[in-house]
Amino acid sequence: MSQDVSDLGVFLGPAAAAAAAAELVTREDVLRARDRQRVLRSRAGRHRLRLLWLLLGPGVLVMLGENDGPSMVSYATTGATYGIGFFVPFILLTFLMAYLVQEMTVRLGAATHRGHAELIFQRFGPFWGYFAMGDLVIGNLLTLMTEFIAIQVGGLYFGVPQPVSVGGGVLLVSLSLALRRYATWERTAMALAAFNLLFVPAALFAHPDAARLVHALAFWKPLPGGVNPAFVTMILADIGATVTPWMIFFQQSAVVDKGLTREDVREGRLDTALGAMLAALAAIATVVAAAPLFGAHVDVSEFASGADFASALRPFLGRFGATLFALGIMEAGLVAAMTISTSSSYALAEAIAERHSMNLDLAHGRWFYASAIGSALIAGAVVLTPGAPLLAMTLTVNVLATLLMPPALLFLLLLVNDREIMGDLANRRAANLAGGTIVVAISLIGALYGVITIFPGLLPG
Amino acid sequence: MTSEPSDPSLFEALEPGQLTLYSERPLPRRRLGRGMLALLVLLRVYVLIAIPIVAYAFVRALLAH
Repeated sequence: MSQDVSDLGVFLGPAAAAAAAAELVTREDVLRARDRQRVLRSRAGRHRLRLLWLLLGPGVLVMLGENDGPSMVSYATTGATYGIGFFVPFILLTFLMAYLVQEMTVRLGAATHRGHAELIFQRFGPFWGYFAMGDLVIGNLLTLMTEFIAIQVGGLYFGVPQPVSVGGGVLLVSLSLALRRYATWERTAMALAAFNLLFVPAALFAHPDAARLVHALAFWKPLPGGVNPAFVTMILADIGATVTPWMIFFQQSAVVDKGLTREDVREGRLDTALGAMLAALAAIATVVAAAPLFGAHVDVSEFASGADFASALRPFLGRFGATLFALGIMEAGLVAAMTISTSSSYALAEAIAERHSMNLDLAHGRWFYASAIGSALIAGAVVLTPGAPLLAMTLTVNVLATLLMPPALLFLLLLVNDREIMGDLANRRAANLAGGTIVVAISLIGALYGVITIFPGLLPG
Repeated sequence: MTSEPSDPSLFEALEPGQLTLYSERPLPRRRLGRGMLALLVLLRVYVLIAIPIVAYAFVRALLAH
């Protein structure tokens, strides 16, 4: 298969192939070719930093995008409930897991030049394809709603009326797509995503004890309360805050849209690793920033949102620190609304064999753009519905995302081991061992969650 | 397919598989072994059991507030 996709050049020769292609090119081909020319020039000129800069994007965005509204609330709840201890190294572990999973999507995209949904449909048929899409659509729509909840509550902290903040979020998603240019969309989203690091200065306002941080990282302690149902739910929510199905679909399609090839896999890995490190830093900073609530024995179980956290943290972080926290929650929702709605767009257009690229014009990409804007409008409308159960939704979404992960990971492992399409980029034994361990671990934790939900008295406390 | 003027040499920057013309051709179906099919079915059952449990937990949380 890897030979098959390059046979135009083999049969016609590069120049003739290029000329033939020029007769049948589309707008996205032209724009992607321009982006690729810059990459090839940088590679030829050995401008390594510029090359890395040009190829950065999908990995950083997917990782910082997953530090979304419900994820930051999960991390804040973790810090407020358990303080600095077990969960700090655990969060690092989850980001290592996220890197291992997302790195596979880089290789898949670079080797096949096809999105994740279209590969599932084409290689395994519509039966499995529709199941995978069903999981993704349910997960994405619910997660998108929680992003608008984050935007809404972040806005409320600053006194912005709900319809204005939610409407502004929907407008931002729509306008970013109206750029009709992948590269511009990507850089805009990256600039916004940089604000995820606002949680780092917010954490510094909590004056964290460096020795306690080092002790927690080294010994995975303390774990107040021990293993109980709340602990299992927190574990599941924190896994759901780092590895979710939308990330797989988004990064692979973004890698394809950006035009990465086999030559660029190294930079793709660096992009993903950098994203994981930045996102882990912001996640741990959120735990640290919320840890004073643990010390003050503040009950956060009734908190509805990140804005409640920001208000409760004001006596500990000061007005400026709490403002940074609220801004970070709002940013988390905004960037994730952009990436998750785009993930839905790619996957839905791929599933119905429609064109799917952010370089498409509006006429050719009507299904692509309509999916993103439509899902943002639905999510925004639900959030603005009076009496909508926003708190329960926020708490449930990460758990659901984790439970939907094992089948998504199995499809990923099947595809990345498919030598017909992957060639020499197929998984090696170590990657399969790591991937298999992640599937088994998430399935077992999910099963434990199911058991303790049905039989709450099984574990103490 | 496009109204934008384009230089044919520009497309040397792309691998043929990156062109829309190529990517619109579906890949052939792959046959899955019995073991793998069983695993896919098992995980599907897992999801079908998990979703009602999450829904139950969601409703319980709803009633609790």
